[in-house]
Amino acid sequence: MTTTSTTIDTPTNAPADRLRSWGRRLGHEEVWSKATAPVALVVLIIVFTIANPRFLSWPSITSMLADSTIPIVLALGATFAVTLAGIDLSLAATVALGSVTMATAYQAGWPLLLCCLVAVATGAAVGAFNGTFIGWVRIPDFIVTLGSLSLVLGLGLIISQGKPVQIPEAALTSVSIHSIGGIRFNFLIAIVIAVLLHIVLFHTRFGTHLLAVGDNTEAATAMGLKVPRIKLAGYIICGTMGGVGAILLTSYIGSSQPATNTDYLLKAIAAVVLGGVSLFGGRATIFGPVIGAVLLTFLQSGLTLLGVSAFYSPLVIGIVVIAAATLMRGRK
Amino acid sequence: MNDIKVEVSDLRKRFGNVEALRGASLTARKGEITAIVGDNGAGKSTLVKCLTGLYTPDSGEIRIDGEPVHFTTPKQARAAGIETVYQDLALCDQLSVWQNLYLERELTRFVGFPLLRRREMQREAHRLVSDLAVNVPSVNRPVKRLSGGQRQAVAIARGVMWARGMIILDEPTAALGLRETAQVEALIRRVVDAGQTVLVVSHNFEQVKRLSSQVWVMRAGNVVQGVRTEDVSGEELVGLVTGAIPAVSARHR
Repeated sequence: MTTTSTTIDTPTNAPADRLRSWGRRLGHEEVWSKATAPVALVVLIIVFTIANPRFLSWPSITSMLADSTIPIVLALGATFAVTLAGIDLSLAATVALGSVTMATAYQAGWPLLLCCLVAVATGAAVGAFNGTFIGWVRIPDFIVTLGSLSLVLGLGLIISQGKPVQIPEAALTSVSIHSIGGIRFNFLIAIVIAVLLHIVLFHTRFGTHLLAVGDNTEAATAMGLKVPRIKLAGYIICGTMGGVGAILLTSYIGSSQPATNTDYLLKAIAAVVLGGVSLFGGRATIFGPVIGAVLLTFLQSGLTLLGVSAFYSPLVIGIVVIAAATLMRGRK
Repeated sequence: MNDIKVEVSDLRKRFGNVEALRGASLTARKGEITAIVGDNGAGKSTLVKCLTGLYTPDSGEIRIDGEPVHFTTPKQARAAGIETVYQDLALCDQLSVWQNLYLERELTRFVGFPLLRRREMQREAHRLVSDLAVNVPSVNRPVKRLSGGQRQAVAIARGVMWARGMIILDEPTAALGLRETAQVEALIRRVVDAGQTVLVVSHNFEQVKRLSSQVWVMRAGNVVQGVRTEDVSGEELVGLVTGAIPAVSARHR
């Protein structure tokens, strides 16, 4: 940080300068928080492969990637809430409600594509509900989404009477079964969504405003940003991902799931933390949470492969989350 | 009266039981640095926030270039060409310098839907920062990685970049050391030389003496005195602010 360096680091600089700036950046927190998930993923793959070489076989990898689809999509949604320095505790419940409304539409004889839209719209509606109360009524995100968690869960149980509904549609289940070169469609869908959300976050005005609001609400207000509206949009994206998760889950299982799987919420938040998204808001990546979600899925599958009881997996995930959060906190 | 940029008359603003402004009036001439001094709670910040659209006054009038204006949002004030550098700077720490400079006014290009012109904004931000001789290491660096003086310079640069006629600076050097204060003051002088009108709120009487051409003294929600800076000493200013010297409104207007 010299005082005479206005000429360094222009966007049009030479490769040497760029290299120097990279060197300088190494040792900064962004690099570390961004590197955590990829490095941990590589280490984990090496360890599990040594323990059991079957871990690294192509069928094993593609099946684990397919398993990571829902965690990825939900982590992407949670990223938008966390970027706003918030949280969405209702995300997993939204998945359940989305699958229920989708099944209800299906039972009413609606075309499949419309049923999928119903699930997405359900997620968006829950997000809009959360965003409205957080943005305008100004109730803390934690309380609002805790309330909507119960509300959404209850709504799902009432509509479905707690009973799952079969959706035997080949078009829907094929998303979870068919593949291109072993990579299943559902994983490809998740990656496409990730790319789209990356563009939204880093290449649109809205994305910048979202980061600004998460970083410093007062500054954002002073600069004329419409903070409540931006929060609303962020939570709608989050909820919508819950709706997308509902479709993927229904496709995977072949029926609706009225019961909330809290494991999904845990994994989504964990993936976001591992991915280096600041829990204090304003700093985010899309790549990080995706890797984080893959990492957690690989971890779970790896433990299963090693014959560790499934009962241990929440324990391990909990430890990973707290360890990651502690690591991030140390570099403020 | 053609050289009056801003004219504030009889501005009143009340927060519950607190009367923050009780009929404050002042003017600022074009191409000059006008200072507002006053003790804590004298109403300086409230007055400034009325000028920037963060607060809407209960009554009174604000005229810009002779035209009455009614700001209800910061955006409207900025549309009228008034930029503000807030005391807390209103920078987003984790966003880069260029992102802060362009916040809310990002350049986009339409590719199916509007995408940011990141390269162009980076290049322009770099050019501006170099032109102002602001010692910012890189416009791609997050603001939190900058020193206090550099952050202040970024905030002022943002004001300069977008202002069309007037910049309001709220305590521009409150948190800075001596050397950084001197740098920021030099920057403010360059801004005025470039033809902008500057309104500066300051606690620092030395600074007011060094920088401004006109001083307005506020006390208890009122503007009690306005003088040409050359006609007043630092001690007199202190006296006027504390009330030790009674205000003589006829002294100069």
